[in-house]
Amino acid sequence: MSDPASAVGTPGGAAVLAGRGLTKEFYGVRALDEVDFDLVAGEVHGLLGENGAGKSTLCSILAGLYRADAGSVLLDGEPLELRSPIDAGKVGIGMVYQHFRLVSSFTVAENVALGMKRRRTSRRQLETEVAELADVHGFEVDPTAQVWQLSVGEQQRVEILRQLYRGARVLILDEPTAVLAPQEAERLFEAVRQIADQGRAVVLVSHKMREILGHTDRVTVLRHGVNAGSGITSDLDVTDLRQMMFGTSDHDPAPRRDSHHEDAGRPVLRVTDLRVTGDRGVPAVHSATFSVGRGEIVGVAGVAGNGQRELHEALAGLRAATGSVVIDDIECNGRTSRQRAAAGLSYIPEDRLGTALAPGLPLDHNVVLKSYRRPPHSRLGFLRRRRIQETTEDLTDAFDVRGARKGLQVSLMSGGNLQKAIVGREVTGPHEVLVTAAPTRGLDLAAAGAVRDHVLAERAAGRGVLVFSEDLAEVVDLADVLLVMFQGEIVGRFARDEVDVDHVGLLMTGGAEELT
Amino acid sequence: MSRGVRVQPRGAVRPGIRLGIPLAALVAALVAGGLVLLAAGNDPIEAYRTMFDSSMNGVNAWTRTLTLATPLTLTGLAAAIAFRMRVYNIGAEGQLYMGAIATSGLALWLPADTPSLVMLPAIILAGAIAGAVWAAFAAVPRALLGADEIITTLMLNFVALSFMNYLIFGSMSFWRDPERPVPQGLALPESAELPILSGRLHWGIFVAAGAAIGLWLLMQRTTWGFDLRTIGDSEAAARYAGMPVAARIIVVLGISGALAGLAGAVEVSGVTGRLDPKSLAVDIGFTGIVVAAVARTNPLGVVPVAVFLAAITTSGSSLQTVGVQSEIVLLLQGLIFLSVTASEFFVTNRVETPRIRLRSAPPEPEGAGA
Repeated sequence: MSDPASAVGTPGGAAVLAGRGLTKEFYGVRALDEVDFDLVAGEVHGLLGENGAGKSTLCSILAGLYRADAGSVLLDGEPLELRSPIDAGKVGIGMVYQHFRLVSSFTVAENVALGMKRRRTSRRQLETEVAELADVHGFEVDPTAQVWQLSVGEQQRVEILRQLYRGARVLILDEPTAVLAPQEAERLFEAVRQIADQGRAVVLVSHKMREILGHTDRVTVLRHGVNAGSGITSDLDVTDLRQMMFGTSDHDPAPRRDSHHEDAGRPVLRVTDLRVTGDRGVPAVHSATFSVGRGEIVGVAGVAGNGQRELHEALAGLRAATGSVVIDDIECNGRTSRQRAAAGLSYIPEDRLGTALAPGLPLDHNVVLKSYRRPPHSRLGFLRRRRIQETTEDLTDAFDVRGARKGLQVSLMSGGNLQKAIVGREVTGPHEVLVTAAPTRGLDLAAAGAVRDHVLAERAAGRGVLVFSEDLAEVVDLADVLLVMFQGEIVGRFARDEVDVDHVGLLMTGGAEELT
Repeated sequence: MSRGVRVQPRGAVRPGIRLGIPLAALVAALVAGGLVLLAAGNDPIEAYRTMFDSSMNGVNAWTRTLTLATPLTLTGLAAAIAFRMRVYNIGAEGQLYMGAIATSGLALWLPADTPSLVMLPAIILAGAIAGAVWAAFAAVPRALLGADEIITTLMLNFVALSFMNYLIFGSMSFWRDPERPVPQGLALPESAELPILSGRLHWGIFVAAGAAIGLWLLMQRTTWGFDLRTIGDSEAAARYAGMPVAARIIVVLGISGALAGLAGAVEVSGVTGRLDPKSLAVDIGFTGIVVAAVARTNPLGVVPVAVFLAAITTSGSSLQTVGVQSEIVLLLQGLIFLSVTASEFFVTNRVETPRIRLRSAPPEPEGAGA
C-alpha cells in the first residue's frame, strides 16, 4: 500500500476523490494492481484503456460496488470506507453504469427520485424540480414521460439527472458513448462540460482516444490493471496515449486493405422483401432487400434498435418473417434455424452468454453445440466424448482460446476468449455464409483484431459475410458494401470506395430527412 | 483498511468439495438436531442410536429403509429430470396415484392366471403410461400456451387424490372389494405381485436403480440428454442451436410423470397388493421433490439421498419407544434439507474471511480477463 503523502501532484487543487494502491483480483487474475488515481473538483477526467484494462473495476470500487482487496479510497483526503453504492451516494459519489438502472414503467421524475428517503414532496413538486434541474443542464427531458418511451440517449440523461438530483459531487460515467450515436455523444459532452463547470468532478470512461483528447481536462490511462500514466490532456497527443495504452507506439491499427477484390462470385445470401415484426408487435424491419456475394463482406451500420437485431435473428431463423431468404440457392424462409445451418448459414449473435453459449455448461459442450448430432461427435444418438474433447482441444489451439478448464462453466471465462471460441465454432465446419452481429463488442484490441482477421479470412475463402455492428469505424473498415439501417429501413447503400463516414453518420441518426 | 468476507465463484468444483461440503452440512444438521433433542429433554446420543438401529443396523432395518427408498427414488428422479430443465413438475404425488390406479386396474382386469412374466411388465408399464398421461395434462398446455406447470401439476394432485378416494371410498368401483363391508381395494392376483427379496423388500428396487442409471446415461451420454442440458441452462441457446424446445419439454414432463407413475406401480404391485389410498397417499411424491433438490437433480445422487431420507422416515416410529416425539423426525428432515441445500452456496463459491483462509488463492494467470 502506498503512502498517501506520496501522491502524484494534482494540478488545479486538492483531490476531491483519490485512490491509493487499489488492488482487486477476480478468479486469481489481477484486474487492478496498486492503482493510484486522483480526481479534482471541476475537472473532466478521462479514464482510458483497452477493454479489460481495469477501468470498470476502478470505477466500481470508487462507487462502492466492489471493495478493493488492498488500498484505500480517500474523500477530501480522509479515508473512506464504502460498503455499498448507497454509502457512496451519501458522500456524493454517483455512477452511471453502461447498463442503465431504470424502471422502464416509471416516469422520469419517479426514476430520478427512486430509492431516496421519502420527503413530503408532491408529485407535481417533484416534476417541477426535475424539470428545473434538467433545464439548468440543457437536458430536454419530459419529467412525466415513462422511461420505456425514451431513447437510449434520453435514458442516459435521466441517469445523470438522478445522480445530480442526489447532489453528486463526483459523477462517474462508465463508457457513456458506447450506446450513443455521434450527434448524441456531442450533446453528452456539452452537458458533461457544464456539470464540471459547476465545480463537480466527472470521470469519463472510454476506450476511444478521440473522445478523451477532445473532451477531458486530464487523463489517466490503465493498462492491464496498472496505472500506465496520468497527465493534462492538452499536453498529450494520440501517440502519447497510444504508447500508454499499449506500451509501444509502433502498434498501428491494421492497414486498410484494398478496396478492390476479385470479382464477387454469385450471391450466396439473397434477401428479398423481408419484413420482420419486433417484440412489441410493431414492424421492426420493413421490406429489406439485399444480397451478399461470395468473397464479399456486407456491413450493416446503424444505431442499436433500428431493426438490426430483428433482421439478423430473422435471417438465422430465430424470428418469424415474411419475404424470401435464400441461402446458397436454398429458400429458407419458414425453415428452422437447424435447417438454415444445414443450408450453409453460420451465425454469431450479439448475445454471447445465453444465446451463442449455454453459460452454465463447460466449453466442450458449447463447442459442439451445433454439431453434436453429427459424426464424429455422436453415433446412433450417443455422444462420443473423446471426439468432442478432441474437437474442443483443436479449436482452443487454433483460435487461441484461453482460460478453459475441464468442467468450468463458460460464464466464468473472459469475453474475449468466449468470442474467439464462438467464432471458431462458427467458421469451422461446412458453411457458405457467416452472419455476425457486434462481433468485437467488449473485446480488447488483441481479441478484436483476431476476430476481424477471421472475418477477413472468411472473405478470402470465398464465403459471404454479413456484419452488423454499431461501431461505425469497424464496419466501414471491414465492409465491401455498406448498408445503413434506420428505423427498420435500409436507408443507405454504399460501395466501399463511395463510403462517406459523415454521410453515413447522418443517415444512421435520421439526419438525411432533415437535409432533403 | 479493514476487509470483509470475500465470496468468489470457484469455477470448476473438485469432487472432494462437491461431496465433502454437503456431508459437513449433514453433520451440522445432525448436531443442530441434537441440540433440539437435548432442549426437549431427550438424550441425543440415544435417540440417534435408536434411529440408526431401526433404519440401518441389520438386515431387517435395511429392508424397511430400502422398501421406502424404492418409490422415493422414482419420485425423486421424476422431480430431478423435470427440475433439470427448469420445468417444475410438483405433480408426482398425483401421477403416482394415477400409476397405482392403472396398475391395479390392469392387474384386476387381466385373467388371474396370466403368467407373471407377462403380467408384471404389462401392469408396470401401464402405471408408467398413466403417470405420463396425467403429466401430459400439464405438459401440453405448458408447451403450447405457456400455462404455468407449477399450478397445473399441483392442482392435478388433488384431482388424482379425489379420483382414487372415489374409486375405493365413494363408489362400488371395479377396484373395490365387493365382499367387504368396509371400503377396501380388491386384492391383486398373485401373478401381479412383484417377487420379494427379503421381508417386504421387493424387486421394485431394481426398477428404481435401473431407472436412476438409465436416466443418468440418457442425460449425460446421449444427444437427447445434450438437448435437455442445453435447454435447462439456456432456452435461448437451445433455440439458437436449433433444438426443438417445446417438444423436449413435453417429452420430459411425460418422462417425469412416467417415473412417478412407476413409483405408484411398484408400490401397488410390491407393497400394498391392492389399490389402497391410505398407504399410497403418504406424500411420496412430494418428498421426491426434496430428494431431487438435495441431490441437486443428479440422477445418481437421487439414490443415496432417497435412501437416507427413507432411513430417517422409517426410524421415526422407533424414536417414540425412547420417548421422543415423532415430530422431531420431521424437524430433522427439515434441518437436513435446509442445511444441505444451503451448503450448495459453499460448493459453488469460495468464501474467504480476512483471517481464516479456507483455501489460499494462488494467482493463476490463465488469460482470463476481468
